[in-house]
Amino acid sequence: MSDGPYCPPSSAGDVDAGIDFENLFETAPCGYVLADKDGRITRANQTFAQWTGYPAALLIGRRFSDLLPVVGKIFYETHFVPMLHIQGRFTEVALEIVSAGNQKIPVIVNASMTNEPDGVIPSIRFTLFVSAERRSYERGLLAARNEAQATILAERVDSELREQFIAVLGHDLRNPIASIGSGVHLLGKEALTDRGRKILELMGGSVVRAAGLIDNVLDFARGRLGGGITLMRDARESLEPVLRQVVAELRSIAAGQRVEAIYAIAEPVNCDRVRIGQLLSNLLGNALTHGAKDQPVRLEASTDADALIIAVTNGGAPIPTEAFEHLFQPFYRGGDKGASHGLGLGLHIAAEIARAHGGSLTVQSDEAQTCFTFTMPLRQSASD
Amino acid sequence: MPLEESKIILLLVEDEALIRMHGIDILESAGFIVFEACNADEAVIILDKHNEIRLIFSDVDMPGSMNGLELLELAHLRWPKIRLLLTSGHRRLKDDSLPGQGKFLPKPWSEEALVNKVRSLLVA
Repeated sequence: MSDGPYCPPSSAGDVDAGIDFENLFETAPCGYVLADKDGRITRANQTFAQWTGYPAALLIGRRFSDLLPVVGKIFYETHFVPMLHIQGRFTEVALEIVSAGNQKIPVIVNASMTNEPDGVIPSIRFTLFVSAERRSYERGLLAARNEAQATILAERVDSELREQFIAVLGHDLRNPIASIGSGVHLLGKEALTDRGRKILELMGGSVVRAAGLIDNVLDFARGRLGGGITLMRDARESLEPVLRQVVAELRSIAAGQRVEAIYAIAEPVNCDRVRIGQLLSNLLGNALTHGAKDQPVRLEASTDADALIIAVTNGGAPIPTEAFEHLFQPFYRGGDKGASHGLGLGLHIAAEIARAHGGSLTVQSDEAQTCFTFTMPLRQSASD
Repeated sequence: MPLEESKIILLLVEDEALIRMHGIDILESAGFIVFEACNADEAVIILDKHNEIRLIFSDVDMPGSMNGLELLELAHLRWPKIRLLLTSGHRRLKDDSLPGQGKFLPKPWSEEALVNKVRSLLVA
């Protein structure tokens, strides 16, 4: 046995082992090129000769770099050769070989320097794999990625447009809804039959619902467009009349369900009254929709030394535990009723309004009752 | 003081007919005399003719050469004694962004809120 790292066994032995190394070299499924330390080709196998169209004999004596296009040549001299000398090998390099027919053949090249111990001049071995398919695969991947990015970008633009559309639509719907509301008020002062009055009452309720829905959708679209919920806090005017007004409106929608209200507010409360009214409207609407119809919905609005507390309670089945984490997410609807109950924005917007006030909206639900509680500190934190 | 108030003349500027009628209904029920205009240009013509108008109650977004806020600014320059009340369904303005100590009332107004606002402006 030889102790050298590279000692070709005798051909007799090869054949005995069932391997013809000469043939393996010539017809291997990759190109082999041997060169001296300066890169002059000393031998090339048949596979390489076939790929490139040069007869193997004609390649001998040429520099390996002569087979590369200009760019490749520069890379070869400035990177490939130095790395090869430093590391003894350089692998998985994507290059192009210029064929006899002047075609550029994409290849992946591995190269190593041999360091014969017994003073033999070191030489360079190149192994080459044609990589046309791999390159087109890579290009395909790249194209797919670019396409995906373009799609994401287009969808972002799309969804922004959609939200702007919602904002404009909501905006423009408010006027006719307000008109109908005014019409309902005016008709309410006319002499009407009982039936006419009933119809008018229902219409009034529908106007309130539509207006509330539009407010929520607009706030949601505004939030998505980066506007967020803006507050106009004002402690000079009282909050209670606004809450009473909301309760009166919701009673008109309640269709027989009772709404009980207790007010114990020490004015003034420094808040955005319109927003707090919207929050209450959303909580009451939610309680009327999901609570048991034969039990009253209760509102308690009060202040203590530190906070404004608005609690809305309804009876009926408790909220399932798995629904808790989704309650305040937009477009979440309690799925138990089958029929659709609006967009599922009410609690989300209520929570956003609470947050904008530096307060919180929490929920407790058991067999006895479900209670949503809004708590807002009456004083801004000490820092401001 | 219904007798006293019956002499007070207001100008309501609103482009939506039903809302305008509603506003007139509320204010007339409260004892005011109400002139109406459906845009700012019409309002200026009425203001030119009637120097007895004490208060302008105007919507913000209306067709025409001026919006409601611009109308109030012009009115404040030309008739500085007139009280100003602005309203809108989709805009919310701060009182201090209005000319001449004007006030803002968000839509939809309740009867009570509108009348209270008008009265507080007239006594101020």
